[in-house]
Amino acid sequence: MRPPSLYVPGSTPVHRADPVTKGVWAASLTLAGFLVPDWRGLALLFLLNAAVLARAGVLRRVAGLVLASALLVVTFFVAQGLTHAGSGEVAFRAAGLPFYREGLVFALTLAFRLWNTILAMGVLVLTTRPQDLVAALLMRGFPPRAGYAVASVVQLLPTVWAAVAAVLDAQRSRGVETDGGLGRRLRALLPMLGPLVMASLTAAQERAVALEVRGFSRKGPRTVFRPVADMPGALAVRSLGLALFAASAAWRAVL
Amino acid sequence: MQARSVWSLRLTTFMVALIPIAVAVNFVGKYVAQVLRLPLWLDSIGTVLAAILGGPVVGALAGAVNNVFYGLVQDPVSFWYAVTSVFIGLAAGYLAYRGWTKTPAAAVGLGVAVAVVAAVVSTPLNVLLWGGTTGNVWGDALFTSLRLSGFPVWIASFLDEFVIDLPDKVITVFVAYLIFRGLPERLVAQAGAVAARDAD
Repeated sequence: MRPPSLYVPGSTPVHRADPVTKGVWAASLTLAGFLVPDWRGLALLFLLNAAVLARAGVLRRVAGLVLASALLVVTFFVAQGLTHAGSGEVAFRAAGLPFYREGLVFALTLAFRLWNTILAMGVLVLTTRPQDLVAALLMRGFPPRAGYAVASVVQLLPTVWAAVAAVLDAQRSRGVETDGGLGRRLRALLPMLGPLVMASLTAAQERAVALEVRGFSRKGPRTVFRPVADMPGALAVRSLGLALFAASAAWRAVL
Repeated sequence: MQARSVWSLRLTTFMVALIPIAVAVNFVGKYVAQVLRLPLWLDSIGTVLAAILGGPVVGALAGAVNNVFYGLVQDPVSFWYAVTSVFIGLAAGYLAYRGWTKTPAAAVGLGVAVAVVAAVVSTPLNVLLWGGTTGNVWGDALFTSLRLSGFPVWIASFLDEFVIDLPDKVITVFVAYLIFRGLPERLVAQAGAVAARDAD
């Protein structure tokens, strides 16, 4: 059992691009997706991000994420198709219920917004180790204590994940029922989580001491263990991202 | 020594160390809920526990870091809902400070309050981002039937979110409360635990 991760290791230009530039790109294109009022415009953003992801060799991974959103997309089409009547033009009827054309178009827009979010953020999260992102942010003045809080989760999760497996086995062998009715499964929650939380909090205490003796509360500038270099052309990529965002905002304002 | 304000932004090192632990506990809660096939998310037990132990500021930071991290390793859409997590942490931390963790009944009240806050904060996000639905089949079925009976989008969307949040947050907070009650005094004191435990 492995802790969750979206990062796909690689050495493509997208992987090597500096995390802050990818972050600016991901944020501008995600927000742009929510400003573009028409699904055809969103489809263009979708294709643009898909091309970047293809270059990074992570299309398969992102396709998995898009498929995982299928249920959400189905609810868009059912909920909006049935209720968003607009001019009242009925596209088709299913089980005697009318599905409105405008509602279905709106649902398509929502679906593309969701996919655009997944793809745009994917450019950042699928190609960047979380530690590198934090290091890059720290180098630009992100508070070190906040940086620690994010980066240490990466180190912590594998340890905690191993403990989960151990506690599940131990409690089952002591006769804690993890099958059966809902009430019985709910009651199993505490014997499972209690020891894990307890062990984690003790670990937090030890970490606090370890951090303190290493000068965690010290004031003044910090150095970074794994410096992340700005890539050539970073400015151009960031400007393009921001320009697309501005264009989407303008499109929204005009319509 | 001057008493520390519950809203103070000056965190002790232990409070900072508590934040990643809270995020890990959130992940574990979600995973255990899946193992036990519970129809709940239970993905904010750590946030609530950090809020009870360290106060609203620690709770809010744990919530924010949780969604940023979850967005990085699991689901990119989660970044948007960092706002909800921050408010869950703030509400749980402040109400725990006001004594809502003294008795089991108060803890249930805290769960209901957290559910209301979570639904109120999530509703504008759900409406603006996704036209009001949440992606939960039962909630969205309710949304659709309310809309068909003529309810406004905002009310239908709030109830869509609230019917899922209510059981989820009440159980989340109650589990966090039971764990909090069982913690050794030494640890609770070190966390700066603003929340009071009943004398037992």
